[in-house]
Amino acid sequence: MKTVKNKNNRGLTKNGPLLLIALPGIAYLFINNYIPMFGVFLAFKDYSYVKGIFGSDWSGFDNFKYLFKQDAFIIVRNTLLYNVSFIVIGTIAAIVVAILMCELGERFRVKFFQSSMLLPNLLSWVVISFIGFAFLNSDTGFINNSVIKLFGGKEVAWYTTPKYWPVILVLVYLWKSVGYSSIIYMASISGIDKSIFEAAKIDGATKLKQIRHVTIPLLKPTVIILTLMAVGRIFYSDFGLFYQVPMNSGALYDVTQTIDTYVYHGLMELNNIGMSAAAGLYQSVIGFVLVMIANTVVRKVDNENALF
Amino acid sequence: MKVFKKIIVFVLTATMVFSLSACSKSAAPETEVKQETGTTATEAPKKIEKIVYSYATFNNIPDEATLGSVEEAINQITREKIGVEVELLPIAIFDYSSNISLALQGGDKVDLFESLGDFNNAVSSDMAYDLTSLIDTAAPETKALLGQDLLNACVKEGKLYGIPTYKPYALTPMVIYKQEIATELGIDMTQVKNITDLTDVLRKVKAAYPDMTPLVPVQTGTSGVNMCIPKVDYLTDDYFSPKGILMGDNMSVVDYYGTTEFSDLCNLTRTWYNEGLILQDAATTTSTSTELMSSDNSFCYVASYSYPPEDTAASLEAQCGGIDLGAVQIGDAYLDTTSVNALSWMVSSTSKAPEAALKFLNLTFTDPEIINLLIYGIKDRDYVLDAEGFVSYPQGLDATTVPYTAQLSCGTLGNFFLMYPMGGTNKDSIAWEEEQNVKAAKSPAMGFTFDSGEVETEYTAVTNVIQQYLPGLLCGSIDPQTAIPEFRDKLTVAGLDTIIAAKQSQLDAWLAQK
Repeated sequence: MKTVKNKNNRGLTKNGPLLLIALPGIAYLFINNYIPMFGVFLAFKDYSYVKGIFGSDWSGFDNFKYLFKQDAFIIVRNTLLYNVSFIVIGTIAAIVVAILMCELGERFRVKFFQSSMLLPNLLSWVVISFIGFAFLNSDTGFINNSVIKLFGGKEVAWYTTPKYWPVILVLVYLWKSVGYSSIIYMASISGIDKSIFEAAKIDGATKLKQIRHVTIPLLKPTVIILTLMAVGRIFYSDFGLFYQVPMNSGALYDVTQTIDTYVYHGLMELNNIGMSAAAGLYQSVIGFVLVMIANTVVRKVDNENALF
Repeated sequence: MKVFKKIIVFVLTATMVFSLSACSKSAAPETEVKQETGTTATEAPKKIEKIVYSYATFNNIPDEATLGSVEEAINQITREKIGVEVELLPIAIFDYSSNISLALQGGDKVDLFESLGDFNNAVSSDMAYDLTSLIDTAAPETKALLGQDLLNACVKEGKLYGIPTYKPYALTPMVIYKQEIATELGIDMTQVKNITDLTDVLRKVKAAYPDMTPLVPVQTGTSGVNMCIPKVDYLTDDYFSPKGILMGDNMSVVDYYGTTEFSDLCNLTRTWYNEGLILQDAATTTSTSTELMSSDNSFCYVASYSYPPEDTAASLEAQCGGIDLGAVQIGDAYLDTTSVNALSWMVSSTSKAPEAALKFLNLTFTDPEIINLLIYGIKDRDYVLDAEGFVSYPQGLDATTVPYTAQLSCGTLGNFFLMYPMGGTNKDSIAWEEEQNVKAAKSPAMGFTFDSGEVETEYTAVTNVIQQYLPGLLCGSIDPQTAIPEFRDKLTVAGLDTIIAAKQSQLDAWLAQK
């Protein structure tokens, strides 16, 4: 009994200063992430400025109704499918880029390519949307005026033709994010023991075989953790990508409308606090459920790599 | 090694703690100062109440010292006259609505604010103080000035919640065009009497300048043509997102998108689009008409203004790169409740001193000194007044470099007609504008406001559908033959009929009371 107590005491003296260092961070997390959770009340209230958050009348699930009103299917479908394709294609692209980078070998070249691939990640969506506009603009755009004319095709009114946009959005997303997400994979690859590659080489494995049988299996834990984290945000969408890049063109809503843009469009006019809170709660609950499901699946398949 | 680690940990913790305490220390004096000024004010012999006046500004937000000097100049008048001290809180127009709603939610002190097109929302979420009885004691002059007709636009369920800004309300649709091109091609713009007359003009310009897109949108997604349908009462809806409307003197609420006027208009813009007469990206471009007009690639745009055509053209010239502009009226002004209450001043429901706030609001409608201080700042520092009473900026300065100006907010603060006119405008215009307010045709439902509270779910859904289709239809970039039926189907699913029914029943109840 005594020894246990001693151990605990020693733990506190040992970790005390560290805890103290962490204190500002914990305080920040508490103030910024936990206290606002009380705002969840608002999702079930008919908010009145006079009565305040707690005094307002309860409204049951009225605030949630508009989320299931119209086009609910299209919006949920868009949000989920885009995010799934971002996770799948994004992960594959990031791993491919990371492997290629590691194979470049020479320091200068690696730095150069890495920096140039990271650059788009530093641009804001507004800037990217105008780069897109320079390409796709129907009067003066690069694609209509140079590319299509060169091959003698017919001009396309990009911003009013929905069918191209799933591809455009995925491409734009990849262009912006792949450099950044490949960094983590590059770090894991350089963490792999070099002797494993040497052993494989001695056994006569070619470069491709080394990648298939050594690099990729050893990247699995990283892939699983990153994917699980991405799944948690599968019901959120990158507002800038879906709002700015298609220039908020109404004709494209069928393929560009996600939960976030839908809520923004609907509430821009109404400024309704209860309904916004409802949308936030809806997204978090679904996100939570999806993480739990994904984690259970991972635990069943590969217990070691599950998050919890 | 271990000792060394411990030392590092200690040093880091110590610096962290010190830096934190340093932060709190530097913050402390400020609050002390504030408290001091607070106490001195309340200790003054005559009890002076303090209020916060928050207005949207389209100009630069002045620095604190400058703002303080204008506040002081205003307070010298208000302390004497009504025993009130005012703190000015200008907010940039883009942030205004969200900032005000956050401020009221967070319990910040804001006593007076403007409802930017959101009259109903402000009232239904209890942001506005009930002024019904207060106005007789605190602002009788304003009541007399506006008259019951105009005030009625801010009445809801028998209670007065706001005071509409007194300004030219009537929006007259016009075509703003480049004089030089019209003269060169020998186009007589005075012959353009309505929107369909414009087509031939556009064709002529296109024939002479094949690379030009003659018509540009007034802002994202609106070609300005929607305002050309005569005698439409939007029944409290946004002009850019009408739901159920009244047309002419008929008192039954109709679906705007089902009217032949609407489909005719869409067919017209579609013709323009197909012939290349209107900017192809009109539905999505984020450039505004003034930017687009500054380029060589454009000829005209359609928009509604509340000033006489000649004045409008003159005042827009500077913003369009100094080119010679002309304007021609293509429709008549029509007054409905929205045109009056779109900009109304409200006393916040959280205000501790509603009476003092209303007294100050009264001065912005009746005291020329106050209103001109708010708009132009301090005489000879921020503006100069010539012998004829026209305002201009001091030598070497302009709207962006003077210490204080809210000139672009003119017509949103208090009484527009008490403001000094800007140099270059015509004094007769003011008479024209006041006359328009009286003469313009008024909707039979003038004074009716629709409460969207009971149909909020449908309202949100319908708004989304409208944003999907309306810009494309009004700019011609989607084909009305297929798009209108599709659009109306989606509106039905979203619940437009419920909104129209709710409007009708509220309107009937209002008529019965009348």
